[in-house]
Amino acid sequence: MSDLPVLTLVVFTPLIGVLLLLFVPRDWTRAIRWIALLASLTSLGFSLVLLGYQPAGAEFQYREDLSWIPAFGMRYTLGVDGLSVVLVVLTTVLSVVSIFYSWDPIRVRVKEYYAAMLLLMVGMLGVFVALDLFLFYVFWELSLIPMYLIIGIWGGPRRIYATVKFVIYTLVGSLLMLVAILAVAIAHAAAGNPFTFSYETLRGFGYTDGLQALAFVAFFLAFAIKVPMWPFHTWLPDAHVEAPTAGSIILAGVLLKLGGYGFLRYSLPLLPDAAVSFAPIVIGLAVIAVLYGAMVSMVQPDLKKLIAYSSVSHMGFVMLGVFVFNTQGLQGAVFQMISHGVTTGALFLLVGVIYERTHDREIAHMGGLNARLPRYAAIFGLFTFASIGLPGLSGFIGEFLVVLGAFQYSGWVAAATMLVVIISAVYMLWMFQRVFFAVPSDWMRRAWPSLTDMSRNEWLSLAPLIVLVVGLGVYPGPVLDAISGPVQRILDIVNASQGLTSFSPPW
Amino acid sequence: MEPNDLAALRPELILTVLVLTVLTVDLFLPRAHKWLLTPLTVIGLILVGLASFFVSGINQTVFAGFYRVDDLSVAFKLATVVIGVLAALFAPAYLAQRRLPLGEFNTILLFSLLGMFVLASSSDLITLFLGLELMVMPAYLLAGFHKTDRYSNEGGLKYFLLGSFASAILLFGISWTYGLTGSTRISEIGDLLGGSGPAGLVAIGMLTVGATFKAAAVPFHFWTPDAYQGAPTPLTGFLSVGPKLGAFALLVRLFAEGLGASGPDWFGVMAILALLTMTGGNIVALAQTNVKRMLAYSSIAHTGYIIAGLAAFAHTTDATARGQAIQSILFYVLGYGVMNIAAFSVVGMLQRDPRRYGGLAAFAGLAGRAPALAAAMAILMLSLTGIPPTVGFFAKLYVLVATVDAGVAWLAVAVALNAALAAFYYLRVIVYMYMRDPEADPAPIDRSPLTTLALALSVAGVIALGLFPDPIITFLRESAASLL
Repeated sequence: MSDLPVLTLVVFTPLIGVLLLLFVPRDWTRAIRWIALLASLTSLGFSLVLLGYQPAGAEFQYREDLSWIPAFGMRYTLGVDGLSVVLVVLTTVLSVVSIFYSWDPIRVRVKEYYAAMLLLMVGMLGVFVALDLFLFYVFWELSLIPMYLIIGIWGGPRRIYATVKFVIYTLVGSLLMLVAILAVAIAHAAAGNPFTFSYETLRGFGYTDGLQALAFVAFFLAFAIKVPMWPFHTWLPDAHVEAPTAGSIILAGVLLKLGGYGFLRYSLPLLPDAAVSFAPIVIGLAVIAVLYGAMVSMVQPDLKKLIAYSSVSHMGFVMLGVFVFNTQGLQGAVFQMISHGVTTGALFLLVGVIYERTHDREIAHMGGLNARLPRYAAIFGLFTFASIGLPGLSGFIGEFLVVLGAFQYSGWVAAATMLVVIISAVYMLWMFQRVFFAVPSDWMRRAWPSLTDMSRNEWLSLAPLIVLVVGLGVYPGPVLDAISGPVQRILDIVNASQGLTSFSPPW
Repeated sequence: MEPNDLAALRPELILTVLVLTVLTVDLFLPRAHKWLLTPLTVIGLILVGLASFFVSGINQTVFAGFYRVDDLSVAFKLATVVIGVLAALFAPAYLAQRRLPLGEFNTILLFSLLGMFVLASSSDLITLFLGLELMVMPAYLLAGFHKTDRYSNEGGLKYFLLGSFASAILLFGISWTYGLTGSTRISEIGDLLGGSGPAGLVAIGMLTVGATFKAAAVPFHFWTPDAYQGAPTPLTGFLSVGPKLGAFALLVRLFAEGLGASGPDWFGVMAILALLTMTGGNIVALAQTNVKRMLAYSSIAHTGYIIAGLAAFAHTTDATARGQAIQSILFYVLGYGVMNIAAFSVVGMLQRDPRRYGGLAAFAGLAGRAPALAAAMAILMLSLTGIPPTVGFFAKLYVLVATVDAGVAWLAVAVALNAALAAFYYLRVIVYMYMRDPEADPAPIDRSPLTTLALALSVAGVIALGLFPDPIITFLRESAASLL
């Protein structure tokens, strides 16, 4: 391991981009775009260094540890394990894709737009690499405001409603989480330990059952809103529909993963007893989310809304995998997060492509696009199949592993989720058929002349995602190897727990 | 009087000389040179601040027990100086446009600051009351400072009437206290009042009502919005933080120092007041479409958060936890002071046209017209909401730490939920600035260099204190330790 502070460079290179942007006149849009692209590419470059992570080595590598606010024992501690590495790379890749894709579609307030995108990157990357609960919280909140602006300024007609809803939902959860973080740290300090927010120190401390239960609920709210789990999902369709394309890519691709990551990194290892006791409820909610998301997707008239609800379903798989507490389930959950990030990110990008040309996303307005845009149809088809979970593409691995894990937990749960694999084929294929093969609507015929097949920039933005979705589907080994260590550690902690003893939940 | 009694009083003495100098110089300065009063005031205040540093650590009671110069008072005094400097920098441009006299403003402001100094150092109920009146009398004048404006008249009068009423109640409480205990020493009344039965409760009740009236806690807050809305905007900024700081100095002196031992008895009252104040302030602020009025109501909500810190103090007997509660009050008062006075000044900058009363519409599309100003306001709004990395976030965090540490986690949850509620109306300003198109006839923006400088300083402070609050925390720890 070199002495270079790789993680700081990964996280804060985009911030340097923001600072540079401040000094560029606002009408130099070309320069602004290049600065943003180069900053995100540099961050991506540094994040690739992390692929040198040694699964057999220490738990957290590339560590950095500096004193920050000693009065409260807050430290600037960064470090990654396999789980963080894959999510960091996912984030940098999707950020570069979104920034590059925005080249043409974003034409107003370009400077603010790229500054917000880069700040968003800082927040998201920070969440994945922070090993101090306070630092984690700061990054967590930092990722909120740029997305608020991105939806609110560059979004669709109901953008203000959507973005305020998004922020208020998220803030309620995260502020309660802040109280829980403080409660955990204070309980640890009350036992005579020095005041600290260090994840590695706080993990494994025997918190009382009452605290575990309450803190778990608070963490759960924060993460479940972010994931989002049914019934906390109602902000998601609004946010997705109104967000600009790149915002949707990041929202679906990375921001939802912050929730899943939160469960894996914090909820389970910090509060294992509560996690074990609450698992049946969470699994119940996850199964509802999987079914509900899929069924609601079937009746959506708007392409973006359909994909948004399918996200609820897919993220339900993630939650299910996390809380069945076995290797297949957890590995499947992480893999599903990665795969969903790539697939859904790509699908939103593809919806953006057609929206750029027609300024419409109504499925009923489309039809016959296969004849007019054959290349576009082919790529859309690829990601449709990836989303359904066709073997050979990335979606299959995650769903399969989760169902395998669920089967060990309960045959009924597995059966219910298997059903959804069929429903997902129904809504995705039906959508694909209506958009690409059906008789073109009159509306579409009128828009016919403006339809051009995918541009070079659009191809370039999609290329990395195509590579990933096929690559991960054919050869998932490296990702599964990288996450097997962290997954095993989580399982060791959770399976050693007997659940809450003195605190009996009301069920 | 001992000779070193005066040495301990250096800050107050310098401040008094400064007031008199400003008052005198103002008489002889020709109109064209009146602007010199601002640098004079600011430099004088900086000297006062330095002098306050020199008396830190001496922790002595002077004037036969009437006046206490301890580190706690130093913390309050330094916060007072910061607020005073900002107020002196923010006001001139606004006053000049309305042809309001700068010299009188500076004099009145400095008198009020002097009152806050006395209040922070009082160790006797008599000194406490003197300090309070010295602080609020000039504040009434500031509220009605725009003599030809009806709203200012109304606000000033309301503030005066209700403020006097509250002072009377407080004074009545003081007289009951004296009647029951035979003492006016703050350090002595606690033990004596505790054993005096129902009459003691009446006394404590009067003191509570009087003090929380000054801090604008629900249900004693009705004077706030009108007084704040009527006053000239940068002065409102001062009114919303200065007298509030004084009120909390009073509350800390009276409750934490005087009645600290019987904390569990008055915990319930403070906790309920905190809950009512933060929730009530926020709910009413939600409905406001005038930014000035919204900030006025939200200042009530902030009072609630600070009272939560005091409630945390009452709930515990552990010295560390109590220290943390006091620190949280000090930190919040300072942080809130900087961000709120700056936020009001931005509203004032959009009132170059005197017919505008700070409606939300004036902020529409500001990001396009004045990107730097909009960014500054956005940072202030985020800080008031409590989003990291800003001082507002850390202040809330401090209160949360204090409440959780004192074992009143439910109050911490209430603070957290209220912060989320507050996000709704603070972010609405950002929505207007960034997500809406400007009005057909946008409000002219005042860009005087002084105001801009002060705004830049405040915003830099808001971020710097949010990222690196450690030096302040260390200082506040010593301050709080001097009380316990």
